[in-house]
Amino acid sequence: MSCHVVLERAAAAPRLLTLRPHPLRIALVGQPNVGKSVVFGRLTGRYVTVSNYPGTTVAVTRGRAPVGAEVCDIIDTPGVNALDGTLSEDERITRDVVAGASCDLVVQVADARNIRRALMLTGQIAAFGKPMVLALNMVDEAFARGIVVDAAALEATLGVPVVEMVAVEGRGLSELRDALARAARPRVPVHPHAGDRAVWAHQLTERVRHASTLSLAYVQEALARLTRRPATGLPILAVVLYSLYLFVGVFGAQTLVKLLEDRLFGNGINPAAIWIADRFIPFAVVRDFFVGPYGLITMGMTYSIAIVLPVVATFFLMFGFLEDSGYIPRLAIFCDRMFRVMGLNGKAVLPMVLGLGCDTMATMTTRILGTPKERLIAILLLALGIPCSAQLATILGILGGVSFAALATLFGVVLGQMFVVGWLAARVLKGERSEFILELPPIRWPRIGNLLTKTRLRVWWYLGEAVPLFLLGTVLLFVLDRLSLLGYVSAMGRPIVTGLLGLPESTAQIFVMGFLRRDYGAAGLFQLAQSGQLTGVQSVVALTVMTLFVPCVANFLMMVRERGLKTGFAILAVVTPVAILTGAGLNGVLHALGIRF
Amino acid sequence: MRLAFASSAIRTLSSLEEGECGEVLEVRSHSSGRTDRLLGLGVTPGATVTLLQKFPGVVFLCDQTELAVERGVADAILVRTGGR
Repeated sequence: MSCHVVLERAAAAPRLLTLRPHPLRIALVGQPNVGKSVVFGRLTGRYVTVSNYPGTTVAVTRGRAPVGAEVCDIIDTPGVNALDGTLSEDERITRDVVAGASCDLVVQVADARNIRRALMLTGQIAAFGKPMVLALNMVDEAFARGIVVDAAALEATLGVPVVEMVAVEGRGLSELRDALARAARPRVPVHPHAGDRAVWAHQLTERVRHASTLSLAYVQEALARLTRRPATGLPILAVVLYSLYLFVGVFGAQTLVKLLEDRLFGNGINPAAIWIADRFIPFAVVRDFFVGPYGLITMGMTYSIAIVLPVVATFFLMFGFLEDSGYIPRLAIFCDRMFRVMGLNGKAVLPMVLGLGCDTMATMTTRILGTPKERLIAILLLALGIPCSAQLATILGILGGVSFAALATLFGVVLGQMFVVGWLAARVLKGERSEFILELPPIRWPRIGNLLTKTRLRVWWYLGEAVPLFLLGTVLLFVLDRLSLLGYVSAMGRPIVTGLLGLPESTAQIFVMGFLRRDYGAAGLFQLAQSGQLTGVQSVVALTVMTLFVPCVANFLMMVRERGLKTGFAILAVVTPVAILTGAGLNGVLHALGIRF
Repeated sequence: MRLAFASSAIRTLSSLEEGECGEVLEVRSHSSGRTDRLLGLGVTPGATVTLLQKFPGVVFLCDQTELAVERGVADAILVRTGGR
């Protein structure tokens, strides 16, 4: 009976320009990495992150788009390979959208190269009884690989409008808008068994797809081969990491930081702010609030803008390039065996690498993993060991000045610790690991426009996310300092900070900052190191502890949102002692061996 | 347990040589997850697959989709070679 209701609504829904209690709601559905987010951006004018790997979109985004004389709601959904059977968490989100009453019409976005797979999904979408349009995207890439799909024949068979598109260039967009008015329920035989659906899709594909063996995509195919073979892939990985170090660690963390910190803040903004404060603010307390040792401008803004921003910007630029090239998922082939020891599979390389950009976002990306156990381990490891771009900034800034051995020690210890914790978690936690099955995106030359937009938005997002917390942290320190409580904090922390970790007492307050955001704490270490108050060993120990802390309040809240309050606190309770004990152990070993860096 | 007889035309995907292609016959599985996921990625009976690489993981082409899988999965995909 419920089925009957669905059909009735479906028959009534697609008419444009009728009186409706709400705008027509159109869901963009399709396999991962077929360009749903590009179509969404083109229709709504609203940018959502576009990258070249499956799993960029893991949550639903809504936007408005004019279609004819009407304004419609467009819903961008996470990519799905199937809508029934075994689903990952992001796939379930999409299924709920398609199945729910909040979607009137489905636009299936399909990769023209993989029409057979797309048709299998069409068969599943059809079961929900919603009117639909099929958008064949990337017909240019399909053509370059010798594949032509007969859209007219497909349209005649399925009974739904089929539109050919190259969404990144905006081709086929007006045709898509026009086709929305003709949306219809597909004439697809109902197959309860996936196997029968596959046979149907296979037979239809044979009829509408013409493939020649000629391919014009030589360069991309050669690059795809070189990046996945160990003999060439590992040297390429080394080159990529070294370029990342040169661009972010040297150019960003040293050249740009020096420019901003010394020139802009050191010689420009800070003296000017102090001069203004001295002249116009009569109260010493208020003056100090802005320009004192814990001042909003002299500390908060200097840390967030001068020390962290340059690295975040350079990192996001380079990272966006790697994302759009389709390179990152190829690393999964090399990592699979190692990740298996930690109860994960190679697919986990995606959230892990993404964590280098932002652990909070990456925590959400763990939705692409197969089982709850894998998600939990990945979230734990992200919180424990993966430094986000902002923190990478300060690590490179401090240890770049000490020695390469110091840098190698830090990363060695952190990776080793992740490995140990992952290995233990894989054994302690209940549940299963899923098998490693991952689609590798084609290698593409990134589009400069997308790269710049993405970087710009991420930098803005960073500023919106991190700067307020930096300022809040500064205010907190200021208040503690005013109330003479910083002394107590240092005294309380003394047994751990000075005793166990062998650090100067003043580091205690930096760890307080580190609880709020570990990159903010690291920025505090940066200044301490610059003023010569930290030895090489102390820098390494302090940074190791800071890196192993839970990244920031936002990341903690995301863990709670994704996995619940109990799990959030459990992770906190595991990570914090591990961080401190590792630091203590490292301090002991370095002293025992007499290493100075 | 492997079903790779040298003389037989029915082999596991993992027993193919690099560059060799075949037609998928079935995906053997004890868990439904594996079959479902491979099906969703286009690895269905009748699909043409080409083995691209065996180490460190198995990489193969199915239609125009490049897929990376662990060895155990490749062992479970039965293909027919030489025919048609």
